[in-house]
Amino acid sequence: MGLPLSAILLFAAPVAALLAAFFLVRPFKPGWTHWPILASCAVVTAASVDLAAKVYAGSVFDVPVCAWMAAGNWMVSFGVRLDGIGVAVLTMVCVVGSLIHVYAAGYMRSDPCFSRFFLSFHLFFLMMIGMLVSNNYVQFYLFWEGVGLSSYLLIGFWTHKPAARSAALQAFITNRVGDLGFLIAILMLLGFYGDTRFGLLFDAMGSQPAPLLPLIGLMLFVAAATKSAQFPLYFWLPDAMEGPTPVSALMHAATMVTAGIFLLARSWPLIAAVPQLPTLIAAVGGGTAIFAGLLACCQTDLKRILAYSTVSHLGLMALALGLGRVGVAVLHLLMHGFFKAVLFLCAGNIAHGIGKSTAHVAEVGGLRRSMPMTMACFVAAALSLAGIWPTAGFFSKDAVIEAGLEAGPVWAAMALTAAALGAFYIVRMLLLAFYGPGSGQKPGHAHEAPPQMGAPVLFLALGALSAGWLAPGIGRLLACGRMPSEEALALPHFSWTVFALGTAAAALGAVAAYVLTVGRPDFEWTWRREYPRAASLIETDLGWRKVVAAAAFVVRRLSDLVGDLLDHRCWDGLIESLPRATLPLGGAVSLTSGRLSDHLWWIVSGAALMLLAALI
Amino acid sequence: MNATVLQVGVLLFTLGLGMVVLRGQLLAMLLGIELMVGAVNVILTYHANLFGDPKALAAVVLIICVAAAEAVLGLCLILKLHHGGIPAETESLAELRD
Amino acid sequence: MRELAFYFVGAGAIVFSLGMLVQRSLYAAAVCLLMALLQTAVMLSLAGSPLVGCIQLIVSAGGVMVLVVVAIMAAPSQAKAMWARFAVPKPLAAAGVLVLAAELLALITLPGLSGGVPPAGALDAKVGAVLFGSYAVATEAAALVLFLAALAVVGQEENDFMKRRGVSPHGCFPLAACGTRPGRGGGK
Repeated sequence: MGLPLSAILLFAAPVAALLAAFFLVRPFKPGWTHWPILASCAVVTAASVDLAAKVYAGSVFDVPVCAWMAAGNWMVSFGVRLDGIGVAVLTMVCVVGSLIHVYAAGYMRSDPCFSRFFLSFHLFFLMMIGMLVSNNYVQFYLFWEGVGLSSYLLIGFWTHKPAARSAALQAFITNRVGDLGFLIAILMLLGFYGDTRFGLLFDAMGSQPAPLLPLIGLMLFVAAATKSAQFPLYFWLPDAMEGPTPVSALMHAATMVTAGIFLLARSWPLIAAVPQLPTLIAAVGGGTAIFAGLLACCQTDLKRILAYSTVSHLGLMALALGLGRVGVAVLHLLMHGFFKAVLFLCAGNIAHGIGKSTAHVAEVGGLRRSMPMTMACFVAAALSLAGIWPTAGFFSKDAVIEAGLEAGPVWAAMALTAAALGAFYIVRMLLLAFYGPGSGQKPGHAHEAPPQMGAPVLFLALGALSAGWLAPGIGRLLACGRMPSEEALALPHFSWTVFALGTAAAALGAVAAYVLTVGRPDFEWTWRREYPRAASLIETDLGWRKVVAAAAFVVRRLSDLVGDLLDHRCWDGLIESLPRATLPLGGAVSLTSGRLSDHLWWIVSGAALMLLAALI
Repeated sequence: MNATVLQVGVLLFTLGLGMVVLRGQLLAMLLGIELMVGAVNVILTYHANLFGDPKALAAVVLIICVAAAEAVLGLCLILKLHHGGIPAETESLAELRD
Repeated sequence: MRELAFYFVGAGAIVFSLGMLVQRSLYAAAVCLLMALLQTAVMLSLAGSPLVGCIQLIVSAGGVMVLVVVAIMAAPSQAKAMWARFAVPKPLAAAGVLVLAAELLALITLPGLSGGVPPAGALDAKVGAVLFGSYAVATEAAALVLFLAALAVVGQEENDFMKRRGVSPHGCFPLAACGTRPGRGGGK
């Protein structure tokens, strides 16, 4: 069965747009770079909706396009797989991505490197799409790396800022650790099975499980944990907020960081086959959710609050996944994409409004009068994040809580704590930014965002409010493709207990935020002085950043040592000692001395050797 | 007798070869060459007479003739070297002239 | 009977050749070689060709060796070392030659060699016919080579031997007659 036209357009449109923008538009009118790219976004969104409809109607595609490499009994092909999970995430990525592209056209209008931004941004978009429709691990890895590369380009977009450059490098290198895990897993899979196509691989795995399957699963989890910022290697994400706001909104909220969760969802049959791995994933996810939620409550930069919030929600997704509910995790991924994008774009509007690249809580306050539309969108998204009833976030968060309840009290407690913390920090952010101004804040005045930036936020906010009503449809969509398995993909049914628990947790968090922000208005500004040790702990992410810095220091010293020892002394020494060994040898046995005696002797010896051959 | 002839011939030949290879003076090499030629002649004559082949005997005569001419030419070269002040030794004759 | 003589003469030739090899002075080596070539000449006649033996005696032992001895006396070698210098150590150099000798000896101990003393002088009569018959061209060539060798000798301008005797190289008349200082000729 061939590829539908929409699938071809998924790739052809961005590639064509990038080429046209780079070669035709950029040299002449860089300010128009976004036109071909926005057109490509429209095409891609339409194509993804069409594909979603096709998959929902029941046709699943797993089409190889061409053979990429093959040797012996292993083969890597290039192919397209369109099943429920892939197409659902694809649609979210395309819709949210296109709207953020429109937003970015307004946000980055005044930036001198406008065209470079758009090209990198759309390159990321292409890579993400490619990753979502890959049909085998190696191709997945190719686009995974592509996404990492675009992330590097975009975080460090403002190359004149040293903080941005180092944040980009940190993100890239930290992701390298995960990529190494991924590579090891892929190589092992290739070695055992010879073909990493999802469709074939999991069937083969069922019939003959590979040795070292736990290691493969663990490596895949390492990769996902790094890309999706789970506890040990999450710190690159808050620092990645150095990039422009559209970048943070698209990549580090909605799409790129969810790639890890997507990888785990795709690999679910493998993960589930390893005995303790799902529990590990759930534990790490839950721990991350609480840890990051706690840190988000104490941040002072608007984007960093949202970054830690993203880490926390990724932890929730991992928790749901680890508890065996892949469908719940993907649902939360989809909903989170909408409301987190809205939150980031509102933060971007605020920053744009006060004329800076990012907003500190001390610089904003009382913005409800000057930025009403932004505030409305923010409130909608905040409700969604907190999981209040009709919003999209409610459906997914309740599903996570329900999954936790089913699995055990500990997991439920983790989920509820994370929910409460989520409500706390988002209400705190809402109150600090839009109400007041508090005692530590300048009375803020910011101009409202222009329509080009306001409209996408509005649409996304509508999505954040209403997407949840599509949850049953999404559930049916996810089940198409029958991979991983029906029960893993099933979404839970509505239950009053969960509704009550979720809403109670959210209310608890909201009330606490209100009390600490509006009830005791000075608390926000004085707690750091009153509790300095706690403040310093929070600064270093409860000490984890110090650990990471120490580890980085150790690694650097070790590599210097190894470099000096192995490379300089051993290898260079070996190379340089070769002449010392060979020169005297040459001098000793000078075969070409020019002397007649030597030549004669060689003739005689040669003849003797040849006669020896004749005699023997 | 055949074995004796061959053995004597081989021994004389290798002695001549040793003279050529192991001694460093050109004149010594000439002496060695003469010896080698002589040894070969002995063997060739013996076998020529054994098989009754006059052509081989004629070849022996020609060999003696040519060996003589070659010895004369070698001596001329050595004398030329001597006139030029270059000692006729393999050590000094290790490089080509410019 | 002839066989016995051959043993004896062969042994003598080998002894003299060894002596030639280990002599320090080239003059002594040349004399040893002269003796060895005499033995060779006898061996040649014992092998059945007195004609070739006589030719070897006259040309090789009588002509070439005399020339060699004269040349040795005319161009004394200033070599300090008797043996040549090799890049490989000397025992290895000697071993090379010895190994070759051993192999050749081993090669000739092949089975199936017929023995037999050839009749004396049976073929000598036919040599002339071959030399000027089927090998006529070769004979001409050999004669040419001899002629060229003679030319090479004559063509030497600075024939030190001649000069030392006060004889001009272009003819056998005293050097004093062509204007060179008389003190040069005849003195060293």
